[in-house]
Amino acid sequence: MESTRIRNFCIIAHIDHGKSTLTDRLLEATGTIDKREMVEQVMDQMDLEREKGITIKAKAVRMFYRARDENEYELNLIDTPGHVDFTYEVSRALAACEGAVLVVDATQGIEAQTLANLYLALDHNLAIVPVVNKIDLPSARPDDIAHDIERLLNVPNDQIIRASAKTGAGVDRVLEAIVARIPAPVADATLPLRALIFDSKYDAYKGVVAYVRVVDGELHKNNKLRLMSSGLEVDALEVGLFRPKMVAGDSLGAGEVGYVATGLKSVREIQVGDTLTHADHPAHVPVPGFRPAKPMVFAGFYPVETNDYPLLRDALDKLKLNDASLTYEPETSAALGFGFRCGFLGLLHMDIVQERLEREYDLNLIATAPSVEYHVLKHDGSIVTVDNPAEMPGGEEIAKIEEPWMHIQVFTPQEYIGPIMDLVVQRRGAFDKMEYLDAQRVLLTYFIPLSELIIDFYDQLKSRTRGYASLDYTFADYRASDLVKMTILVNDEPVDALSMIVHKDYAYARGAALCKRLKEVIPQQLFPVPIQAALGGRIIARETIRALRKDVLAKCYGGDVTRKRKLLEKQKAGKKRMKRLGTVEIPQDAFMAVLKLGD
Amino acid sequence: MLGSVALFVFVPFCKIKCTYCDFNTYAHLSRWIEPYADALAREISWRGERVAQGDAAPLRAKTIYFGGGTPSLLPFPLIEKILHALQNSFALVADAEITLEANPGSADVSRWRDLRALGVNRLSLGAQSFDEAVLRRLNRGHTVADTLETFDAARRAGFDNINLDLIYGLPLQTLADWRATLERAVALAPEHLSLYALQVEEGTGLAHQIARGKYPMPDDDLAAEMYELAEETLDAAGYAQYEISNWARRDVFRISKFEVVDRTENLKFASRHNLTYWRNEPYLGFGAGAHSCFGGARYWNISSPVEYIERSGRGESVVAGGEGIPREVEMAETMILGLRLNEGIAFEAFAARYGEDARLRYARPLREAREFGLVEMSEWRVWLTPRGRLLSNEVFWRLLPDATVQNAA
Ligand SMILES: Nc1nc2c(ncn2[C@@H]2O[C@H](COP(=O)(O)OP(=O)(O)OP(=O)(O)O)[C@@H](O)[C@H]2O)c(=O)[nH]1
Ligand code: SF4
Ligand SMILES: [Mg+2]
Repeated sequence: MESTRIRNFCIIAHIDHGKSTLTDRLLEATGTIDKREMVEQVMDQMDLEREKGITIKAKAVRMFYRARDENEYELNLIDTPGHVDFTYEVSRALAACEGAVLVVDATQGIEAQTLANLYLALDHNLAIVPVVNKIDLPSARPDDIAHDIERLLNVPNDQIIRASAKTGAGVDRVLEAIVARIPAPVADATLPLRALIFDSKYDAYKGVVAYVRVVDGELHKNNKLRLMSSGLEVDALEVGLFRPKMVAGDSLGAGEVGYVATGLKSVREIQVGDTLTHADHPAHVPVPGFRPAKPMVFAGFYPVETNDYPLLRDALDKLKLNDASLTYEPETSAALGFGFRCGFLGLLHMDIVQERLEREYDLNLIATAPSVEYHVLKHDGSIVTVDNPAEMPGGEEIAKIEEPWMHIQVFTPQEYIGPIMDLVVQRRGAFDKMEYLDAQRVLLTYFIPLSELIIDFYDQLKSRTRGYASLDYTFADYRASDLVKMTILVNDEPVDALSMIVHKDYAYARGAALCKRLKEVIPQQLFPVPIQAALGGRIIARETIRALRKDVLAKCYGGDVTRKRKLLEKQKAGKKRMKRLGTVEIPQDAFMAVLKLGD
Repeated sequence: MLGSVALFVFVPFCKIKCTYCDFNTYAHLSRWIEPYADALAREISWRGERVAQGDAAPLRAKTIYFGGGTPSLLPFPLIEKILHALQNSFALVADAEITLEANPGSADVSRWRDLRALGVNRLSLGAQSFDEAVLRRLNRGHTVADTLETFDAARRAGFDNINLDLIYGLPLQTLADWRATLERAVALAPEHLSLYALQVEEGTGLAHQIARGKYPMPDDDLAAEMYELAEETLDAAGYAQYEISNWARRDVFRISKFEVVDRTENLKFASRHNLTYWRNEPYLGFGAGAHSCFGGARYWNISSPVEYIERSGRGESVVAGGEGIPREVEMAETMILGLRLNEGIAFEAFAARYGEDARLRYARPLREAREFGLVEMSEWRVWLTPRGRLLSNEVFWRLLPDATVQNAA
């Protein structure tokens, strides 16, 4: 298709504001998917996406739309995730587009990721089509919200579309606005090929499949291609587009979005953000790419059954094929044996990886509490990075420890400013600024250590603001802090996987809270189990789990034998799911206890 | 005892439903009592014929147990009818133990006399507590006075083998409350006592009351103390504990100087019917939800009484399901059930039954259990220690074969 008839856009919003549901309506309205084949959030195909009701990976689809001007347009849509852990997916998608549909929930209004994703889009100079969604809900306040958007974007009120992705109201206006307001790609088919790789995935039959946006030139099947940063040459074994399933074709023209199958065996050979060009007629300058996502939190993954280690390694290799932001390297723990230290974009990402490993690969895992990456300056002048508290050098060797700080934005009704301030201060945060967005709503920004952010900060924020506040964060910088390593002893044995890095001033309180929490989550054993927290060699907190004295003492007669055996089988299976440390059995929850200390 | 079974008859009716009860039993179904007894009689004759097939003679039965529910709710003619059905289908041994479970509240001596004359020779009375407040709280539907009167009437009618059921570990119950109940129970001098540690079962009235905060969740450590108190009190009062939850008056059949007094075999008032279960020997159960274990399989009836009656009326099978018991599982069950008895498992008997040495097959679980002080072993047998009786599941799950665990997970 002529590039003037092409529109490349993505849908962005705060989590749950209705991006995927709006996508459903657009697919329906353009006849891309038959109404009979429609399911809710049809693009969210991954099991976990369907179960959790959220989008995890950005996804592209091509639609054809006959507009009111009687012309047929090619619309390339990318649905993006709203959760802050996957902001990286959004920025990749933006790089492939000229415009963005900004969806705002008519009951919730502008929230933290609305702004974060909007600013990302503006950074990329995208045209914005604002949509107030969910106007069908009784509690919808479309006029108020439209007013907020008007001020935020400085667009006339009548350009803000009121829609319901549920009923389909306003969807025709969204389509018309996409055609009218989003510019066609500036693409020159005569220039040498430049195709931006904005995502990749592994397919058992096609090998590594690169998702591309053709910026200049044309990409044909069987072309010999070169990756501009690595120089690696590959064949375009198959070229095609998303409808939303992959459909093979002959070529992708300038300005179009589609895929190239390379036959490569590992996604690591393809860098998302790289540019593809023709090997025999290469372009000179790559498309400006984007930085690869850097993992921010790290945790050890260990198989409960030590024999499963090779299985875990294979599973991680396979997951990595479709998830470039996941990192992992082998590590050993005295307590847990052989495992991997994995890096994640955030806690949700970590959760999802763990769930996929357990579910899709039938593994039974212990995950240690997530940690951030510390920069440690030693007296001998060397600098080491530490992402596992157990590996923190001894206090006497350390000159200085730096930890990552984040810049956070909290969007909240103004009555919760006080409680939010309290929370941030408790978490060593520093106030940055406060802006009133209107009479009721404020945007608070702070700097806060990432290590504090990952300890149930979000849950606390939600509960202290009755769910009204929303949060976004980005990395700020590394700052020196007065940090110490706290060791936990279970039954008088130090458990490396439970150690944590804490601020000196917080050590006593955290130590006491952690011991108490561990006492709750570690089941009673047949003997008393002391739990202690120590700094250096000094015990700073202690609890004791009393020995189990009695279990179920029910009578047992004829009819009960089968039932009784089933109960015992369950009990036995439960034990198998726990990790044995010496003679003490520790459930997964114990390792996550530090995340749920409360305040 | 080869070729002999224990017979169990389940009666799913109660006057009212106690708050802690999750048994398959119902109040307000009295109009179904008569058809239910008919259905029972049909099932008994039908199964009596079937199990006897191939054998010339009917199967020998050494015990009959009317359990519930509240079997004493059945009018006398119905009990008679069911018992006759059993006698017609099975060869009852001469001194068969025939037990009837009853709830306090029937002080009619002549009725007890009739039952005694019919051949019922053991009575199991659901006294539960000698504390009025407790009885009310549990919605037991009877008073302490009812218990005393019923006990007295049964005695006068000639019942010389009476069990009392007691329950402990109740919300708000103190150690002193429990001591008082034990003392009053012992004062009646029953031949047998069965002690039941309350389990708060999901979906029961009590579970709701606790969830709503009406009562506190009973404390496990306190229940352990109550159990220990019972062990001491009953021992001092002349009762021998022979199973985790069961005590019999220390009367014995015979004493030669080579015989250990407390060996279950010799205890005159140990429940012979229940011993069948603990020794993992065959039994046949009749009635809604009743289980049977016979010929290497366990199977169970449809649990709804009404459906049981209807199916029976249409001449359909009342069996709802069953499972084959693989040898490995049977051996584990024999160990688990046998260890419930104070005498424990005799290695020689185990070897005679399975051709395997339990010490070898269960070397690891037995070693672990010993290290934790849960079992003790001699050259001849293995048995639970007092601590092991409180923590028996910690021994039992270790004895299960691994394969079945995978199935359960
Ligand atoms: N009533 C009503 N509900 C809607 C509308 N649009 C979406 N929803 C509901 O809002 C919830 C979130 O919708 P999604 O489409 O999954 O939201 P999303 O923005 O894609 O969410 P993430 O991808 O997780 O960020 C779902 O339960 C939808 O059914 C609407 O217009 N009206
Ligand atoms: S009498 Fe026994 S079977 Fe009947 S409801 Fe009460 S506890 Fe349950
Ligand atoms: Mg979505």
